[in-house]
Amino acid sequence: MISRRTLTFLSFLLPLLAWCAVSYVPALWHPQMLIEDPGSVDYFQTGMRVALATFDDELAQAKAESRAEPTGWPANPIYLPAPDEVVRAFYSAFTTKPETRDGVWLHQSLWHSIQVIFWGFTISSIFGVPLGILCGTSRLVAGLSEPFIEFFRYLPAPAFGALAVAILGIYDGPKIAIIVIGTFFQQVLIIANTTRKLDFALVEAAQTLGTRGFRLLTRVVIPGILPDLYRDQRILLGWAWTYLIVAELIGTTTGITWFITQQARYQHFPNVFAAIFIIGIIGVGTDQVLAMLGRRLFPWDRVTERTA
Amino acid sequence: MSLPSYRDQSASVRERFERLKAREVLLEVKALGKNFGETVALKDINFRTHRREFLCIVGPSGCGKSTLVRILAGLEQQSAGQVLLEGAPVRGPGRDRGMVFQGYTLFPWLTVKKNVMFGLVSQAGRTEAEREALQWLQLIGLEKFADAYPHQLSGGMKQRVAIARALANQPRILLMDEPFGALDAQTRARMQAHLLEIWRKIDITIIFITHDLDEAIFLADRILVLKPHPGEVQELIEVPVPRPRGMSQILSDEFLATKARLEELIYSSPHDGAEEEDYPAMTRLTAVGDDVE
Repeated sequence: MISRRTLTFLSFLLPLLAWCAVSYVPALWHPQMLIEDPGSVDYFQTGMRVALATFDDELAQAKAESRAEPTGWPANPIYLPAPDEVVRAFYSAFTTKPETRDGVWLHQSLWHSIQVIFWGFTISSIFGVPLGILCGTSRLVAGLSEPFIEFFRYLPAPAFGALAVAILGIYDGPKIAIIVIGTFFQQVLIIANTTRKLDFALVEAAQTLGTRGFRLLTRVVIPGILPDLYRDQRILLGWAWTYLIVAELIGTTTGITWFITQQARYQHFPNVFAAIFIIGIIGVGTDQVLAMLGRRLFPWDRVTERTA
Repeated sequence: MSLPSYRDQSASVRERFERLKAREVLLEVKALGKNFGETVALKDINFRTHRREFLCIVGPSGCGKSTLVRILAGLEQQSAGQVLLEGAPVRGPGRDRGMVFQGYTLFPWLTVKKNVMFGLVSQAGRTEAEREALQWLQLIGLEKFADAYPHQLSGGMKQRVAIARALANQPRILLMDEPFGALDAQTRARMQAHLLEIWRKIDITIIFITHDLDEAIFLADRILVLKPHPGEVQELIEVPVPRPRGMSQILSDEFLATKARLEELIYSSPHDGAEEEDYPAMTRLTAVGDDVE
């Protein structure tokens, strides 16, 4: 029996191995040549990448005409850097000076993105969580709000980009709005469902113990669904991250998206990969920390106990 | 072997029933009916329980005994008739009627002690509630588990805590809907003895739903037998088995006579025949010649 930890390790190792193979074994892909010495080919330059066929043609012609032969190594296209370049970029991306004078450093971009996510998710939760719980407990509230929310959640959040800019300006306002729109409607429906899954016998038991009205909500429903609500919020936070990149393109491009587009423009692809991976690491990292916190907060919850 | 009639009561038992009926009526059910749409679940139910009585309600599945107790608890609304608790009509659930459910309904996010305190904190102060809760836990013998969470307890322990939680509210009556139904046979027997012990010690009237006839006879002063389709009172049996009850009485004449009568009422009732499921004829799956009978 392979342990879960080993499997987790393997699930990361396998794609990494594939990437290494493609990067370091020339026979596998390498459709281009990285020119070392242009020789007598006038349009070749050192460090230039040309298609393998072009290189072979020029080499054959130079040989036939007894001119100086170009030399080079098989290489992958510039958009697929090797793992070691990306690993180095994890450090160098933070130390690369912004290309423009008003540009920002990577850590500043990241911090900006995290703030946008935080506010988007917080605003969505302030309204979405209570409304979800009310939908789950009251037939009236559910009947009044759920059909419209069901409809609205199919409207793609980025479609509201232009509108958001018109209303909220070009800075962080519309970006936060897109994350709120992308999260809120799903949030209400998911939390309403979680609330409905609470064992109704617990509510009845509390009623026979003399609890009624609003206190049923605060003493039974909310504590009863709290671990599941917490799990829902973790999943929804992940969704909020997926809206981030689109949101940051709206109005003035900012945050990690700005960094990525900027680096791609200057063809610093290792930095692009590093930035994308950093988003993943932040996402998984936050989720793991929250999961650990959840086990602390809800020691009585059997599901968290099983996954512990 | 012929059994005495279940109506024959020894002098001491007769005297006990006379004392019981002399006590004030605690709960009175008058012409109670319940319909679910077209279906008549309960029809014209009438009975009374006296203070400190232990009343069991038995009947075949589908006779509406759970519906009846849920109406008594106020969790369901009757379609006709009245439930009077000490003369006042019952409307909705309340602290005066405690309930223990078949499923485990302890609040999983609260420790055992806090579960027992659940109904108390709104009445008494926090420290007072805590003190009382610990007393109840002592009564059921689980004071060592005060700080454990429900998922750390066995099924029997969970139901003991549920009983303590309901009793801590000091209800006038304790309603129990097949509370030991999910327990194994041994735990169940211990719980029955335990429940009688609690009942003896405190001023509580118990209405206990079960489909286990032995359980009903072992626990009850009187047994209300319901018949199904629609649920109606078939007979109210005064259990002639003397108290205090013990396991050895299960083979006594009074016990067997009562059981014979209950079986007669429940299993041979003509109403039940219609509900019998059809079992298909079995295909023979073994070789000819290896019969087990």
